[in-house]
Amino acid sequence: MSDTPLLTIAERPASPPSARDFRSDQEVRWCPGCGDYAILAAVQGFLPELGLRRENIVFVSGIGCSSRFPYYLDTYGMHSIHGRAPAIATGLAVSRPDLSVWVVTGDGDALSIGGNHLIHALRRNVNLKILLFNNRIYGLTKGQYSPTSETGKITKSTPEGSLDHPFNPVSLALGAEAGFVARTLDSDRKHLTSVLRAAAAHEGTALVEIYQNCNIFNDGAFERLKAPGTRDEHVLRLEHGAPMRYGPAGVRTVVRDPGGGLRPGAADDAAVVHDAHTSDPVPAFALSRLPEAGGPTPIGVFRSVRRPTYDGAVAEQGRRVRAARGPGSVADLLGGGDTWTVPAPFGSEAR
Amino acid sequence: MTYVIGANCVDVKDRTCVAECPVACIHEGDRMLYIHPEECVDCGACEPVCPVEAIYHVDDLPADWLWHLDAAAEATAGRADAEPVSDPATVTALPPAIQ
Repeated sequence: MSDTPLLTIAERPASPPSARDFRSDQEVRWCPGCGDYAILAAVQGFLPELGLRRENIVFVSGIGCSSRFPYYLDTYGMHSIHGRAPAIATGLAVSRPDLSVWVVTGDGDALSIGGNHLIHALRRNVNLKILLFNNRIYGLTKGQYSPTSETGKITKSTPEGSLDHPFNPVSLALGAEAGFVARTLDSDRKHLTSVLRAAAAHEGTALVEIYQNCNIFNDGAFERLKAPGTRDEHVLRLEHGAPMRYGPAGVRTVVRDPGGGLRPGAADDAAVVHDAHTSDPVPAFALSRLPEAGGPTPIGVFRSVRRPTYDGAVAEQGRRVRAARGPGSVADLLGGGDTWTVPAPFGSEAR
Repeated sequence: MTYVIGANCVDVKDRTCVAECPVACIHEGDRMLYIHPEECVDCGACEPVCPVEAIYHVDDLPADWLWHLDAAAEATAGRADAEPVSDPATVTALPPAIQ
């Protein structure tokens, strides 16, 4: 027999990883001009900041254009089941605390097919970072309306205009008890990177909604938030502790509405100061509804509040029970005497 | 990685690619256009719309156009948001293109 080992372990590079180290050898296949390319470049550029080895990072995706993401990252990854990425990632995060677990999903995968998995991951506060690419359309299936498409949208499946009222992903996440909710834009690399940094630093589930352009089936959906001539008027850049001002040279303000929410104010009004860390989710919810009140679209961190994580609680419970009763055994459990009998249904003796 | 605009653009500057770029990384110089190699996200939207086939992925760039990558890096250094730029000396020195 030859002395050659069957498997050669590749040597780890001595230098810290760079964006190049996170690029896989796979040819990137999205439509030319897709916003997903910009998100991929930003994520590859950010990942070295985590200071983790590639083998300690996992990207789990569901189904859709966005879900091709794991192929293009040289980390561990799983292109999983439609809408079920949060469930798979939950198992991974709970059983492997040494991993940084990320979910990549889209508006259809996360909010329609996987709506239940998403809300329960947020409610449990599993240590996951969920990147929700929202292009307000089903792209992979070639242009049907999605749960975030605006009412009246004309698509192949709604030729007379959609009748559905759309989800607001930030409002939904806040209602599902999310501790960290943020929004950013695919084409604003600096902002996208800053939001990824804040999400990665948050212990617990972080939901990041990324407005992403589908240039084939819903081109320009977020154009007024991006175009140099209109973006200042329509975007509110959230910064914790800063008064909420927007517009050219920050001349517009956001003020409290007597009805309890927020609304655009006059230039000389005292702008509300953004507090992302308050335990009350109401201010963040009001912010998420600001565009409906005629205000700008907020981007940045809406809410960043720490609360106990599910994976941390599972580990703690295991430690406590093992300390009290010693290590368990599955074989003992299966072969144990704790059995019960299902009685015959009432009245069945008479037949 | 990046796409690179080569010599076919010189004295042409059709600019269709500028409108296609989703991250506003194509900058206009005096004689040609340049893709910012650090900002390009490799989406490939610019390449098929160029009427003079001046745009290539860096991996497919013709050998005699390789220097255009350095020219683009020099022209766009520190620039953002599709700002106009100055041509580097290597481009200024090119003979006028035959129209």
